[in-house]
Amino acid sequence: MSDARTEEGGTLEQRFERVWSNLPGWGTLAAVNHTSLGLRFMVTGVVFFLIGGLLAMLVRTQLALPEQEIISADVYNQIFTMHGTVMMFLFAIPILEGLAIYMIPKFIGARDLVFPRITSLGYYCYLFGGLIIASSLVLGEAPDSGWFMYTPLSGSAYAPGPGSDFWLLGVTFVEISAMAAGIELTVSILRTRSNGMSLRRMPIFCWYILAMALMIVFGFPPLILASILLELERAVGMPFFDVAGGGDPVLWQHLFWLFGHPDVYIIFLPAAGIVSTLIPVFSQRPIVGYRWLVLAIIVTAFISFGLWVHHMFTIGIPKLAQSFFSVASMLVAVPTAIQIFAWLATLWTGRVIYSLPMLWIFGFLVVFVAGGLTGVMLALVPFNWQVHDTHFVVAHLHYVLVGGMLFPLIAGFYYWLPHWSGRMPSAALGRWGFWLTFIGFNVTFLLMHLTGLLGMPRRVYTYEAGLGWDWLNLLSSVGGFIMAAGVAMILLDIALHFRFGRPAPRNPWNADTLEWATDTPPGSYNFVSLPDVRTRHPLWEHPELPETIAAGEHGLARIDHGRRETYGSDAVTGKVREVIHLPSNSWLPLLAALSLAVVCIALLVRVYPVAALGAAGAMVFLLRWSWVNGAHPQAAPLKDNEPHQPPLHSRTCDGPGLWGMVVTLLANGTLYVSLIFGWLYLWTASPGWSVPEGQQIPLVPLIGSGVLLTLTVLFYHRVVERLRGRDATGLQGKLWGVSILGGAHVALLVWVQMSAALSPTELAHDALLLVMLIYLFIHGGLAVILSVLQAVRVRLGYINSALPYEPVVLRPFWVYTLGVFWVSFAVFILLPMAWGGA
Amino acid sequence: MLSPTHPFQLVLGLVIWSVWFVALYGGLSVGCAVAPPDPAAGALTWLNALLLLLTLATTLLLVHWTLRCWRGASEAGGGTVKRFLTWVASGVHLTAAGATLAVGLPVIVFPPCV
Repeated sequence: MSDARTEEGGTLEQRFERVWSNLPGWGTLAAVNHTSLGLRFMVTGVVFFLIGGLLAMLVRTQLALPEQEIISADVYNQIFTMHGTVMMFLFAIPILEGLAIYMIPKFIGARDLVFPRITSLGYYCYLFGGLIIASSLVLGEAPDSGWFMYTPLSGSAYAPGPGSDFWLLGVTFVEISAMAAGIELTVSILRTRSNGMSLRRMPIFCWYILAMALMIVFGFPPLILASILLELERAVGMPFFDVAGGGDPVLWQHLFWLFGHPDVYIIFLPAAGIVSTLIPVFSQRPIVGYRWLVLAIIVTAFISFGLWVHHMFTIGIPKLAQSFFSVASMLVAVPTAIQIFAWLATLWTGRVIYSLPMLWIFGFLVVFVAGGLTGVMLALVPFNWQVHDTHFVVAHLHYVLVGGMLFPLIAGFYYWLPHWSGRMPSAALGRWGFWLTFIGFNVTFLLMHLTGLLGMPRRVYTYEAGLGWDWLNLLSSVGGFIMAAGVAMILLDIALHFRFGRPAPRNPWNADTLEWATDTPPGSYNFVSLPDVRTRHPLWEHPELPETIAAGEHGLARIDHGRRETYGSDAVTGKVREVIHLPSNSWLPLLAALSLAVVCIALLVRVYPVAALGAAGAMVFLLRWSWVNGAHPQAAPLKDNEPHQPPLHSRTCDGPGLWGMVVTLLANGTLYVSLIFGWLYLWTASPGWSVPEGQQIPLVPLIGSGVLLTLTVLFYHRVVERLRGRDATGLQGKLWGVSILGGAHVALLVWVQMSAALSPTELAHDALLLVMLIYLFIHGGLAVILSVLQAVRVRLGYINSALPYEPVVLRPFWVYTLGVFWVSFAVFILLPMAWGGA
Repeated sequence: MLSPTHPFQLVLGLVIWSVWFVALYGGLSVGCAVAPPDPAAGALTWLNALLLLLTLATTLLLVHWTLRCWRGASEAGGGTVKRFLTWVASGVHLTAAGATLAVGLPVIVFPPCV
């Protein structure tokens, strides 16, 4: 610890701690700090992992011997559905998000993520959504249609209980958390790196997390849309997936796997990032082929979106279409192979230290390569048909996910354990944990390939004796329990190390990256001062950095202003452009998440007035959140002595909020494009697609509404351009004008909706039109409310010629609203008219 | 035209690939729904020809961008972020070109709608 003294208030660290620390006692629930929340994410993820693991043990117990009746078929269906759901949605994704949330600011030399309150909201949505999903098990009403919830099995006809609703509402709630992490990690990595940390100097882990975050932004919206549509079908009877009403159950499969396959890589890429971080450290040399790895990461992120139909090879798609996805599925192995060869070359040319984290890395290499090879086998259509829905697929997915995610994750846990606890793990217990897990895993799943090849289908609660599956299942179950013992050993090791572990020296593994320049455990502000970074290996080239950082010898070492600050930098060069002031502890994220939990539960029990109240509450808290921003007295009020070189971000026209808005709209746009995909898909592929006679939506008012919207956005654009030129003449009146014009657009849109002759519970066609109209209404309405708030903020002095930031941030939202209006008009109204039948 | 050193080049090639991929699969699906060719014609149909043309045109476009970025990498000074961007971008374009050709080539083998 540095003992740098200041003229008042103790050491620099103590003064930073006063500004950055969480509130005491229960106040810790108002924490927005990424270190605290990253740890909470990970601990919660471990708890859900144990729940998912327990369910797996029940499955293996039931299948250990033929014709067992320990668990009934109904309960078994719930258990395997919840095992998959918990592991995928409540463990794998959130724990990696948690790791990224904890690590990324430390890797890039920042003090926090760029939207700390969103980190907090994300955590609570994850926690409450996870509890809602898990509670279904306790209530005996868990979903039982498999973790991918295929329709019609998950529809109200075949799943009349609340199980599917728990899944649809709970998972959507949890996905708010994923989207939050995706957006803020993207913006944080691009805009808050250390001065001089250009893209070519960025730690390779950050490239992986950037790819993961952007994949979340584009990958999750199709599932969010699908979940909303299926819940609407179940709750009010809109037949999106019902052939009789013009829907199609295959649409669900498309939307699910549009999310589901990229999701595998959303899980794999951060884990590969851990591997690419650890191997150079334990080889004591830079990674071989940094540029090749970056190329491989980008290629993997894209190609993985072109594979989704390989999950649907057996549903009757033409051979030519299958061949597209078959080739793409094989192609994705190429960037993966590039990474594996880069890792092997680094090991080959380095001086490898065979410590505990490396044991897990070697385990990863063996298991993941095997899983990758069976993946290429499954990309071949005839083989895929042969083993479809057998235990071979179960074995493959566990090799990929456990090998590709769990092993690197545990390697990372052991590697960063001293960072969290300040102590070193035990090598002896840790090795026992590894070998038990590795042997148990392979006994369980290597044999399961054979079980599958012998024809055993997945998702059956029991099987007859004498089919050749008996001994394989028994050994798989024994392996499962050995693996469970391995996990128990790891947990014991970690628990004991907090008491008995050797105190960790600074940078205990001789790593090269900045996260080891903090104290262990780190202070809530990470770094007292923010260093310039001119190398990819700052700690190898400047081992004195931890001391000079703590002594306040670098940037932003002042804290007497009382603001939480970090640098905002150029996305490409890393050159500092502004000082970002971050919000402090806040109860608003917790209150907003609680309100959303009320919405979720009320929809689950179908008490809609309470759901509406919850939604209104959430809206109030979120608007209050947006209010305490910029020059608000609780944020960064305008002062005479504030910095100008670089300026505070809220005094500029290009702060992180603008980037956050754009990334959010990318996600929003993906959801909207998924809706258009659903419309076009049902139109061309649904066997029962039916179009009612006549024009159901009054055209003239709809066009009038669009014209009003266009005028509004043009007006707003003009206002913002003037403001960017530091001309705020008549700003308040202009914003009121924008609000009134926009309000007229919304009012006309409501009138269109009320007078439309739609039968949304009878026809999928009408149901989709209604969803489209509601989507437009929400966007128009929200844009108007935010513009009204801005007009009020002008009156209070939070927006003026010196503070032009907020209208600049809102502009893309208005432009997006305008864009989706006219695209909707073209695709949902004009195109069917031109085609001959709307 | 976008400069070879623009950071969007890091993803442009694969964005083009993605748009092509959607057009390929979507075009095939819509073609089969609206005017399915005779299965007896095998791969010698208007639909296959159209998709092949689209594939070849996209591949050529991506090869063109690969060369532009590669030249940009040569011109950028060594050890600079611009050189890094153009090198990775040329790799992205080249990979996208290869992926386009590999995924699209089955149109010369299979009939489109069966």
